Amino acid sequence: MNILVLEAWIAGIILGSFVLTHFWLIGKPAGCSTGYGNLCGMLTSRIEYFQTGDYATKNNPKLWFLIGIPLGGLFSALSSPEPWHFSFSMGMYDEILPQTYAGKAIWIMFGGALLGFGARLAGACTTGHALVGGAMLNPASLLAGAVFFGSAFITTQLLFNS
Amino acid sequence: MIKKIFDWYFDVHNYIVTFFFAYRTNMFSWVMGITFGFAMSKAGATTYDYHAKMFLMIDPQLLIVIVTSVSVSVVGVFLMKKYKIKAIATGEQVDFVKKPYQKGLIAGAFLFGTGWGMTASCPGTIPAMLGEGKIAGFFALIGILIGTLAYGTLKSYLIMERRYGKKELLHKNCDDGDCG
Repeated sequence: MNILVLEAWIAGIILGSFVLTHFWLIGKPAGCSTGYGNLCGMLTSRIEYFQTGDYATKNNPKLWFLIGIPLGGLFSALSSPEPWHFSFSMGMYDEILPQTYAGKAIWIMFGGALLGFGARLAGACTTGHALVGGAMLNPASLLAGAVFFGSAFITTQLLFNS
Repeated sequence: MIKKIFDWYFDVHNYIVTFFFAYRTNMFSWVMGITFGFAMSKAGATTYDYHAKMFLMIDPQLLIVIVTSVSVSVVGVFLMKKYKIKAIATGEQVDFVKKPYQKGLIAGAFLFGTGWGMTASCPGTIPAMLGEGKIAGFFALIGILIGTLAYGTLKSYLIMERRYGKKELLHKNCDDGDCG
C-alpha cells in the first residue's frame, strides 16, 4: 500500500494537536504500548502482572484507543490513490531482510518481541515517551527517547551499511 | 397507546444517553485512536521507507514530524497548565502525569530501539498497518504480544519471589494454582 503522505510540518502540527486534544478530552496522557498488556491479560488469566495494578480493569480507554487505530489506518489507505489490498512488501527493507516469506515473518516477529519487551521495560513506547513525554518535557522520557533513536539509528546503519 | 409509545421512546432515549455517559471515556479514547491511526499513517510513520530514510539520513520526514509535533504540544501543554484546563470526560483538571524513571529504562529503550530498527514499526503504527493491509504488521503484532507476555511472566515471577522468598518459591506446590 502506498499511502499519500502529507508535508512533514503539517503532519507534525496534526499530531501535536492530537496529543493536546487527547489531554483535553480524556484528561490523561496518550499511550499505545500499555494497551497490549490489556490484550495479554485477556489472552491468559494465569499471569498475575496482567491482572493487578494498571491492568486490574482491562476494558479501559487504553484498550479502546488501540482498537481504534486500525480504523484510522484503513481510512488513510482508502483516501490514497492506490486501491486497498494486502501486501507483504516492505520497500527498502525487502533487499536486506531474509528473502523467503517465512524468514521475513520470523524476523519481524523477533523484532516485534523486542518492541514489546523493551516498551514495558522502558515504561512506554515512542508515542508515550517521545511524543507525549516530550510534550511534558519529562526528563525520563527525553532520556528514553534519545536511547530509542540512538539504538534504532545504530541498528539501521548496521543493517544497510555492512 | 400514544403514551405507551412515548414511554418506550423515552426509555430507549434514556438508555442510549446513559450508555454514552457511562462509556464516554472509552468512546472518546476510541475516536482518539482512529484519529491517531489516521494521523500516523498520513505522517508516513506506517511507510517502512521513511524509517530507513530517517536513520540513513536521506529524508528527514519523520524527524520533522516529531520535532514539529513536540514543539506544538510543549506550547499547548504549557498553556493548558497555565489556564488549568478541565478534561471533558472527567470534569477534573487535566492530569499531566509523567512516566517515572524506572529501573531498566535504558536497557528497555535499547531493546526497543533495536526492534524499531529491525521492523521499522512501533507499537503505535502496527495496528494502523493492519488497517492498511500490511501483512508484516500482523507478524509484528504477534511479536509484540509475545514480548509483552514475556515481560509480564518475568515480572510476575519477581513479584512472587518478593512475596514468598526464592527458596520457598522453588519448592512451592504449584497445584493450588497460586504460582501464576
